[in-house]
Amino acid sequence: MSHVDPEQLAGLALDPTDAPAEVREHVETCPECAGLVAAFTGVRRRAGEDALVAPPAGLRALVLDQALAGDDAPSGPAAVDTGPRRRSGVPLWLAGVAAGLALLAGIGLGRLGADDTPEAVDPPTGDSTVVAATALTALDSDAARGEASAVESDDTFTIRVSASELGDEPGVHEVWLINVDGKRMISIGLLASGDEGEFAVPVDLIDEGYRIVDISVEPDDGDPTHSGVSIARGELT
Amino acid sequence: MTIIPLPARAARLYGGPVVTEATAFQDEQDDSVHTLATRLVAGEETALEEVFDRWSPLVHTYALRALRDAHEAEEVTQQVFVAAWRSRHTLTPSPAALPAWLIGIARHKVADARAARAREAGRLAAVVSLPGVTDHALQSADEEIAERLVVRQAVEELPDPRRTIMFLAFWEGHSHAEIAEKVGLPLGTVKSHVRRGLMKLHQQLEGVRHESR
Repeated sequence: MSHVDPEQLAGLALDPTDAPAEVREHVETCPECAGLVAAFTGVRRRAGEDALVAPPAGLRALVLDQALAGDDAPSGPAAVDTGPRRRSGVPLWLAGVAAGLALLAGIGLGRLGADDTPEAVDPPTGDSTVVAATALTALDSDAARGEASAVESDDTFTIRVSASELGDEPGVHEVWLINVDGKRMISIGLLASGDEGEFAVPVDLIDEGYRIVDISVEPDDGDPTHSGVSIARGELT
Repeated sequence: MTIIPLPARAARLYGGPVVTEATAFQDEQDDSVHTLATRLVAGEETALEEVFDRWSPLVHTYALRALRDAHEAEEVTQQVFVAAWRSRHTLTPSPAALPAWLIGIARHKVADARAARAREAGRLAAVVSLPGVTDHALQSADEEIAERLVVRQAVEELPDPRRTIMFLAFWEGHSHAEIAEKVGLPLGTVKSHVRRGLMKLHQQLEGVRHESR
């Protein structure tokens, strides 16, 4: 089905009496064009706002000082990695994770190796031992978002998540393990009820470097990949 | 919380069999935002300056309207741009990415500022104000403010004479005939400017909506 030129639809939204009869007739029978007319009307309704108010003049210098002074971790690898020729196939945001982690790499590596004696962080309850743990924080601040731990008992290995203040953005909360190489990630399940969850994972994953716990908000859009909206993260150490 | 934009979902493309000049609306402005975003991600300090100069009024006005406190609005504005710089590697450049991303960050900073207020006001006040209901109402009010401000900025950024014509039509409520007389252009040209201007505003707003989802 052919549609009406959007400019005609804009004209109709602005002044219905000024639109040619065939345009009006088409819109009456075409939901898509009618939708666009409604959208244009909505935009028109949002016009009329007063002029934007610039912040006080001194703020610019403050922002630049504070931003550039506190700039360490991301600038190294990020500066090298960016640009159109960046790693093919690696989503930008994930590459960003890699950049942010580059400095951390090595610190905790091998800590969970199969041959290591697990370090008890909490007193063992029954036969299970907390072998690694992390605080979860928001990504753009240090705001606390709960905690996660890796628990070993007999032959099973479990990631326990006890999150908090995940916000009320619509969607389900999915838990991921991101590899410290910043290139790989895997979903380990959903926070089905509340902010607590336990997820059995193969211990091999941890040994391979999947030690960053990430919680995302997933809209119900049929897309099984990470939405890109991370609300909490922490590295198991 | 950080918004990590994915590659842009395609906004509605104007086009189809009956449209011949569809690409005329993908103007140079979009390219400049994309380029600026790329430079910011690459860590260019001058890009941060340009981003601040171009969008700090939008962010500041948003914070001012949402918080109704000049001091807090300044603080939030500062936080937004510092946070934007620090998490710049999470930005995926696209035409609408920057304003959408900045507004996304601003929403969270505004929420943090409100939470801090609520903590100060104490538990009693929080109970009385029924946080659940209020949060929802606040959120949709914030969204409406953000969209109206995005429209305002989009009009400001139109090239003249379209910018002037849009202000005369939408802000001052002049008829197309009155505008034609005022600016000395044929009526048909004025109509065309208003229609295309409206389409451009729609495109900007849709871009921001998609990106901030």
